[in-house]
Parts: sequence; C-alpha cells; structure tokens
Amino acid sequence: MTEERRREDRRQGERRAAEPAHQGKHRVYILPLWVRCWHWTNALLIITLILTGGSLHFSTTVIPHIEFSLAVRVHNVAGVLLVFLYAFFVIANALTGNWWQFVPKPPGLLERCIKQTRFYMWGVFKGEAEPYAVTPEENFNALQAITYWFMVYLVLPTIVVSGLIFLFPQFAPTEVFGMDGLLPVAVVHYVSATIVVAFLLAHVYLCTFGAKLTTTFRTMITGWHEH
Amino acid sequence: MLWKKWLRSVGTAACIAVFGLSVAHAESDAPKGPSPEAVAKARKANEECFACHSEAGVEHPPVEGMDLKKLRGLIRSKEAFLASDHGRLACTKCHNEGYDDFPHAEDAKDSTSSCPDCHQKKADLAQAQFDKSVHAKHLADKFSCTTCHNPHVMRLASKLGDPHKIVQQDNRVCLGCHDSDERFAQFAPEKKDRPLIDDIHKWLPNTRKHWQAVRCVECHTPIVGASEPISHEVFDKTRAERKCVACHSANTMLKVRLYRHLQQDEQQKLGFVNSVILTENYVIGATRNPTVDRVMVGLAGLTFFGVLLHAIARVVASYLRRRKKND
Repeated sequence: MTEERRREDRRQGERRAAEPAHQGKHRVYILPLWVRCWHWTNALLIITLILTGGSLHFSTTVIPHIEFSLAVRVHNVAGVLLVFLYAFFVIANALTGNWWQFVPKPPGLLERCIKQTRFYMWGVFKGEAEPYAVTPEENFNALQAITYWFMVYLVLPTIVVSGLIFLFPQFAPTEVFGMDGLLPVAVVHYVSATIVVAFLLAHVYLCTFGAKLTTTFRTMITGWHEH
Repeated sequence: MLWKKWLRSVGTAACIAVFGLSVAHAESDAPKGPSPEAVAKARKANEECFACHSEAGVEHPPVEGMDLKKLRGLIRSKEAFLASDHGRLACTKCHNEGYDDFPHAEDAKDSTSSCPDCHQKKADLAQAQFDKSVHAKHLADKFSCTTCHNPHVMRLASKLGDPHKIVQQDNRVCLGCHDSDERFAQFAPEKKDRPLIDDIHKWLPNTRKHWQAVRCVECHTPIVGASEPISHEVFDKTRAERKCVACHSANTMLKVRLYRHLQQDEQQKLGFVNSVILTENYVIGATRNPTVDRVMVGLAGLTFFGVLLHAIARVVASYLRRRKKND
C-alpha cells in the first residue's frame, strides 16, 4: 500500500468516525463491501468443501454420509468456484492494497505476539481489554496477521492447486516411488484441508472476543468495528 | 511326563514343517499342462500354420492358389498366441485333423473343438450364470464363449497379475462391442441402436478414467466369493452397481474383485489400508493411511477441545468476576 493510499484510508476512517450518526458509539469502518462479500462466499464454499470432502475421504458402507456421487459433484463445483474466488481475492487484494493488512509488520513483532498470546491465555479470563486496538490501518493484531497470511497465501493456494490436480488427474504424475502419482497430491490436499478445519474452529471461536459475543460477527456483516 | 509331551509335540511340529514344506514344494514344482517336449513339438507344428496365417503369409503365400482375401481375415498374431494361456498347445489341439494338411478338409470347421471339450466344469458354471445374464435375454443363440473370450490371445486374470493389464484385456472385450457401432450391429436385435457408452455412464465422474482403472464387470456382475471365478451373469444398467462406496470405502469390494489375486499381506503393506490398490491406483475412500488419519483427526479434535476448554474457562472466569463485583 502506498503512503498516499494509507493516508486516504485513515482520512476516510476518521471522517466516518466523526459523522454524527456514529458519535458516542466508538465505531470505526474497517471492512469494505468487497472484503465482506469475499469472506462470506469463501466461508460458504469452505464449509461445503469440508462437509463433502470429509464425506468422500471417510466414505463407508456402514455410516451414511452425503451420497458419494452427489458429494463428488458438489465438491467439484464448490472447488472450481473457490479457485475463481481465490483468484479474485488475490487480484482485488493487490489492486486495493488490502494485502498490506496480511503482512506481519516489524518492529516489535515478537513482543506483540507474546503480549497477544498472554492476553488469550490469561488476560481474557481476568476481563482485560484487547492489548492492541483495531484501526483502519491495522485490522489484525500480530498473531492474526501471521495466521491469516499463512492461511491465505500458503494453505489456500496449496489446497486449490492440489484440488485442481485432483479435478484433472491426467496432470498428476503417473507414478511416485512406485505408487500412484495421485498419492502425494491426496496427502497434501488432506493435510491442508485439516489445517483449514482447525483454523475454522479457532477463527469462529476467536470472533466471540469482541465487546459482546456477537460484536465481531456483526462487524463482518456491516464493516464497522465497535470498541 | 511333561518334557516327553513337549518333545513329542516339537517333533510332530518339526515333521509337519519338513514334510509339509517338501509336499508344498513338490506341488508347486509339479508340471501343469503339456510337458516341455510336447510344447516344443507343438510350437514346431504351429510354425506350419503361422506360415500362412500371418502377415508374412499373406504377403508371400508359401502355397499357390490360396484365397488371400479369406486368409487376411484369418491372420493370427503369433506373439499374442505364444503369450496367451493356450500358447503351449498345438493349433490342431482345437482345430482338429481336418486342418493337418493344405488344402484343409471341407468339413474341417465342423470338427473344431469347443471350449467345454476341455473346460467342461467351468463351462457348466458359466452357462448357468450366462443364462441369467442380460446377453442371454435376446442374444442367447448369437453368443458363445469365444464371442467374448478370444482363445488365441486371452490370459487368466490370475496369470496376468498386473491389474492394469487385467483391466485392459477385459474392458477391450466389453468396449469392443459397446463402443463400436459395427460390431454392436452384428449382435444387437434388429432396430436396436447402440446407446452411446459415454452418455449412459454420464452419472459416473471421470468416466474414461474409471475404465482405465477398473473393469466393466466390477459393477456389471454380481459379487461372488474371492475364491470363485467372476460371474458370467452380466447385469444391464438397471441391476448394475451404482453405489460409489462399494469401491470407494475402506472395505472396498475391489479386494475380492480386481485385486483378488494379490496376496492379503500385499494389501496391507506400507501401512495403508488396501495399499495394494495404492500401488496401482489411488482410490478415494479406499486407500487410507490409518496413522495419517489419526494425526489429522487428532489435530482437528485437539483444536475443538482446546477451544471448548477455553470457552468453559472464560464462562467460569466471567461468572466469578461478576460474583466478586456483586459481593
């Protein structure tokens, strides 16, 4: 993000915060419409993919899951949509400068991470406030920035590329170490999917850390962060 | 006396081991089919047949006055025949006396042996199954063993071993008719158009990929015991297997079908369930590594319980804070 762009964003945030309708409510506009639309579409697709993917991997004749061929079709459609959505996200992120939010920024990164971890492990039980306030310039605390960067720029592309190879198995290597070439692709897809599941559980839970239990969920709908 | 009893049982076990092994050894070495001398003799005799019934024979006929057009339709691949299950036999074992000389006897074809002449037991079983097959409905009089089983090239699945080769050989038989208008028309009832094979299997994802990996008969025949031959009762689409999990699950039926000839211990090697499939094809739902599964489910489970524990602690801490404040 350019310096000029950051200043513009800050000005916008301050202008909105200064508007009479928001006075006294400690609100700050942090999430533009396209980010919110991306987030919820992404969430819907990811949940669909987890349910159908889990059903395919753990398919059994004993416990009924989602019917296999239906699960394959839904997984394929949702997977292709995710590929396009991810491409849109990367491009939009680059064009709007939103990518800068995902970069864990020094100085004092380690110190901020420790302070944030201490809050999650101890401070939150004592009723302490979040150590770092959300601002339009920095939507994420240091731990969030690292985790989101890891998920968005490492895990998501891995799962998307391995999924695409699954969709077009003719591009997979025929044989790897004497085994079917789809095996490493399958393992990579499976491991990254499990990381997404673990992330999803923690992500949804951490959203209850707002001013009220539902505050952060509301932020993701309205774009306004409430202190 | 205990030690005597122990000695006797050890002795018995040793005898069983030694004699058992030698019996097994003798059995495995026992010659099956014709002797090496008979095979050599048959091959030499077959050379006379291949002298005409080959590309070279048609190009340069060793005998004058042959009907070359007819001969072209009777070319047999020597390499394929030698590699086939019948490759050790003389051509005249089935194509009897009438073919000993050229020109062949006019009624030579009538005395050609049929499959039950040698394989009576198998043929009886196959016939009983075939009678219930979709092919028996309208085509019973047009079908014989050799309609599907070409005795000049085919090999038993147990001898082929490699599932890819088994699939290639067997699917060629089915697709030979069901993917060819010309051949289908030779057998089909009048006015019956050949349904397009890709269209009727549209419901099956990665259709052609499936046909490279498994046989048509995996779904189009009833399941039988691992020691019984694959049934000749071929199902039409109304009875064929359509449940994907029949193959795509840990207890995949492929174990008793395509992979039945591979040893049980082979199926469990590398720590994978059905790992024998893995060395041939990765089958979603069927080839799973229990350790990887445990680690992955454990990771997700730990996260879930970690979150749950944290949430409970937060609720309790919040309750205690409120109570303290009220006090």
